[in-house]
Amino acid sequence: MKTPSLVIVAAARTPFSRAGTDLAHLDAVELGRHAVAALLTRTGIDPMLVDETILGCVGQPPEAMNIARVIALRAGLPESKPAMTVHRNCASGLEALTLAHAKMCAGQGEVFVVGGTESMSNMPFYFSRPAVEKFTALNRARDFTGRARAALHFRPADFAPVIGIKLGLTDPVSSLNMGQTAEVLSREFGITRDMQDAFAMRSHLCATQANHLLNQEIAPVLGHHVVATDNGIRADSSLEKLGKLKPLFDTVTGTVTAGNSSQITDGAVALLVATEEAAAAHNWKPLGRLVSYAATGCDPARMGLGPVRALDAALHRSGWKLDDADVFEINEAFAAQVLAVMKCLADPASARRAGLEAPLGELDPAKINACGGAIALGHPVGATGARLVQTALNQLHANDGKRAVISLCVGGGQGMAACLEAL
Amino acid sequence: MNLKQNILIQLKAMKTLLNCPSIIHDPPHVLEDIIHGHPMPPKHFRLDVDHDGIAWITFDSPKSSANVWNEETLREFNHLLETIEHDTRVKALVLRSAKERIFIAGADIKAIRSMQHVRVNDLIWLGQAVFDRLARLRIPKVAAINGACMGGGFEVTLSCDWRIASDHESTKIGLPETQLGILPAWGGSTRLSRLVGVSKALDLITTGKLLNASAAKHSGLVSHVVAAERLDALARRLVRQKRPGLRFRFENLFSSIIGRMAKRKVLEKTRGLYPSILKAVEVVTHAVHGDIDKGLRLERNAVAELIKGRDSARLIDLFFKREEANKRPASGGTALPIHDATVIGAGVMGAGIAHILASRGIRVLMTDVTNDSLARGLERIHGLVSDATRRRLVSKVQGRDTLDRISTTHVPVPMNRHHLVIEAATESMELKKKIFADLAARVSADTILATNTSALSVSDLAKTVPHPERVIGVHFFNPVHRMPLVEIITLPETAPDVLATAVSFVQKIGKTPVVVKDSPGFLVNRILVPYLMEAVRLHESGIPLKDIDDAMLEFGMPMGPMRLLDEIGLDVAAHVAKTLAAAFPDRFPRTDALDKMVSAGHLGKKTGQGFYHYDEKGREIVPATHSDLPRHESIQTNLALLISQEAMRCLKEGIARSADDIDLAMVLGTGYPPFRGGPITFARDTGIIDY
Repeated sequence: MKTPSLVIVAAARTPFSRAGTDLAHLDAVELGRHAVAALLTRTGIDPMLVDETILGCVGQPPEAMNIARVIALRAGLPESKPAMTVHRNCASGLEALTLAHAKMCAGQGEVFVVGGTESMSNMPFYFSRPAVEKFTALNRARDFTGRARAALHFRPADFAPVIGIKLGLTDPVSSLNMGQTAEVLSREFGITRDMQDAFAMRSHLCATQANHLLNQEIAPVLGHHVVATDNGIRADSSLEKLGKLKPLFDTVTGTVTAGNSSQITDGAVALLVATEEAAAAHNWKPLGRLVSYAATGCDPARMGLGPVRALDAALHRSGWKLDDADVFEINEAFAAQVLAVMKCLADPASARRAGLEAPLGELDPAKINACGGAIALGHPVGATGARLVQTALNQLHANDGKRAVISLCVGGGQGMAACLEAL
Repeated sequence: MNLKQNILIQLKAMKTLLNCPSIIHDPPHVLEDIIHGHPMPPKHFRLDVDHDGIAWITFDSPKSSANVWNEETLREFNHLLETIEHDTRVKALVLRSAKERIFIAGADIKAIRSMQHVRVNDLIWLGQAVFDRLARLRIPKVAAINGACMGGGFEVTLSCDWRIASDHESTKIGLPETQLGILPAWGGSTRLSRLVGVSKALDLITTGKLLNASAAKHSGLVSHVVAAERLDALARRLVRQKRPGLRFRFENLFSSIIGRMAKRKVLEKTRGLYPSILKAVEVVTHAVHGDIDKGLRLERNAVAELIKGRDSARLIDLFFKREEANKRPASGGTALPIHDATVIGAGVMGAGIAHILASRGIRVLMTDVTNDSLARGLERIHGLVSDATRRRLVSKVQGRDTLDRISTTHVPVPMNRHHLVIEAATESMELKKKIFADLAARVSADTILATNTSALSVSDLAKTVPHPERVIGVHFFNPVHRMPLVEIITLPETAPDVLATAVSFVQKIGKTPVVVKDSPGFLVNRILVPYLMEAVRLHESGIPLKDIDDAMLEFGMPMGPMRLLDEIGLDVAAHVAKTLAAAFPDRFPRTDALDKMVSAGHLGKKTGQGFYHYDEKGREIVPATHSDLPRHESIQTNLALLISQEAMRCLKEGIARSADDIDLAMVLGTGYPPFRGGPITFARDTGIIDY
């Protein structure tokens, strides 16, 4: 049997909005529902054709476990069609797509809705374990005296919340938070503050310029006012402004600031994917094809280098060379991290440190994140992987490009990459 | 043996058998059979006594989807009660229904409509006696309600100790009698206020509203709400518990004050035109004290009086006309089910239509030219949904599902899956023609293209598309969620399947369809225009606004013609009037008062200045004029005549299919006083036109 080939038929996403702003009133379910419903509206397909829905979500809201199922039902996909949620941290949105491909290969479906959703505004606060025990005791108490006694055990510290998003952005193995892993790379690969700020500024300016292209991807969210554009982009970004920001993670000697890191953002992306045969049978005009992909591991304390091995593996599987691609989308978790990846791809000594036998070559900076990246647009962790697919294909079509390579670093020490081809 | 002796003998016999001597002061003949009949095994009920001594009475009329109370079912039920009284094994009673969506739909109104008044009185007697007998049974009694429980269906449960309801969507509980010009007279007016207090009872009885299970529990009509499958188990448990006594209702001490306030409110709203509501207020407030028998007597007397008048007959007729219009399929075509629809335009009408469709389970794509107008439309729908949620008409989840079913777009998207497109854009022929031409190119070959135009010619629109047989008018009225009428406008070339689909679609979304021919103003607006123009002419001739409006309010219209013009907008009204005047020259009262006001920028409520002045919040600033009655009558006759005349013309021209349709359309579409039956029935009843 010939291995089925996955094609991307259509894409739609919500605007990406800084946490606590335009989309903060929508939880991850609402965001995902909006993206999936917009996808169905834009394509006009019969929802019965969708065999399964797979969505990535890193911080699943406790009230919507298996959030993909909740979203699928509320967006109007039939009850008889299953849905599942995937989690590979920052690459969850891409994992949803590659899992669909794996399922196609296993004969488990031909048409999938994939993507990701994240509301970083709505990441939950938790209580510490001792506090939870005290609450449980309070609940169990039967009478008034029992309840009073249980209540007396509480201490003020019990009411201090444990912030979910902070936990999520800390690697439990190396116990470094994500920003600290970027500081490691900045130190080890000599990525200076200026280099990082320059890269960050470029992200904002590219995104500003590509505004029109980015807006095509968006299905506006209609509320009290219309939200139709990404709101993290700063058209007036400058080295001077970025230079004024204080380092966040190493406050004394550090280089990583809020300005040269990805933004904390709300957003969701939905893609309609199908086997090439199914797309042809339904007369759909695909945007592109998934040629190859790979997920690889690395040192959790240097998770930012994840793309290096992943790119190597994905390119190897597609048989492409680095130069063959017209478009690179490398997720900008941190400016320091992207710059370190570029250095590892080009410089032999660095390549070896990142686990490559030989460098892959010099990346043409003009090809990287030409529409800006997560530093400008933001990084709704569960959704970004799918956005890179959408933005990469969008660019290929706008500029008559042929091939695109996307990649993300993944918290916990992984990398993921995929090769796409325009159709 | 003379009649008097005969009655005396009956009286004695019944006293012993019914064991409720006090209510039979004046026994009607119909009760005779209760005593002397030798009932056959019941046809409508099943009685099973289980090993726990619970008697399960299951109401299950053969060959019918509904259970209703009529002479036959009441007699059979009475006989069952008698059996139970004599069966010493029986320790408790549960009343339930075997029908899927109906517990008991109430009295058999159809039979009552064709009965002579005397026999109606007899039936009231019978029902009261039987339900009272149930109330006097000394064992615990439970009514397990699943499905519609209305009127007499609810009154019988009031004789039980417990009312429990299923959470099924078909469960609807209430006493709608006043809407038919009568009142609950099988103990409902007497017993409800003792159960839930006089103000809630008045609210339910005077409005006739039906409550879903959760609202019924909230109001105290039922004690428990559970899944339908668990009703029996709950009933079994309840009969073992202590019977709940009636709670002391403090407010009932002030029933006369509450009654007076309620009466004032009703008078304000209805100008005393609905005697059944006033009577209901009177009976409920008086029946709350003293023994039950006194209340039952009041109920009987009130009904006897009400059915003498014409109103009740008209209201019941109208009820059946509406029921029929809600169910009757269009002849000659096959109706296709509609699951997805597109609504073009997110204005007041477009958003209103999208909302009602989505709330009835249809997935809606709402389109408009900009995201801003879509956002405003969605905001309007949000408002409607949260309003309905707040009033417990829908649950939070249902409200959320309604919103989830609506998607929007301001750019063209594929529409080949949508079998119905309803265009609700601005009323401009040019714009609509453009939309239709564009649609025809994009939708699939069997898509129905409907327009919600209120005045433009549907046939002109049909000419712009290659398949005119797919074009139809579906005219909703504003506000869409409140107005029950939808005019379906057909063309000679309209395909039968298209008409059948449109009719069944309108019925599915809970509206009443009336099929009319394409003709200027269609039906309702056409009949209204001469009336409104004459009202303007009268005003021009020097009659004060208030006099004209008051005259028609007294006739029973929900709003006077001058106020109505202000609400519609004078520009819109002038436009419609001109269209009609052009189509039917020399027929309509001529006046250029409207034009003058429009050119002065006085467009009605929306500009704060029409015939009346309005403040910023849209409230009317009432001018101080007083009215004199004799003039009222002549205004009323004059204007009512115009409505009836135009209605007759529409009938003769074949605009509508029947007089019934016209009457129904005018009542549902304009609020024409329902107790008058509609303009054609009114003409016939009063003889103002040669019929």
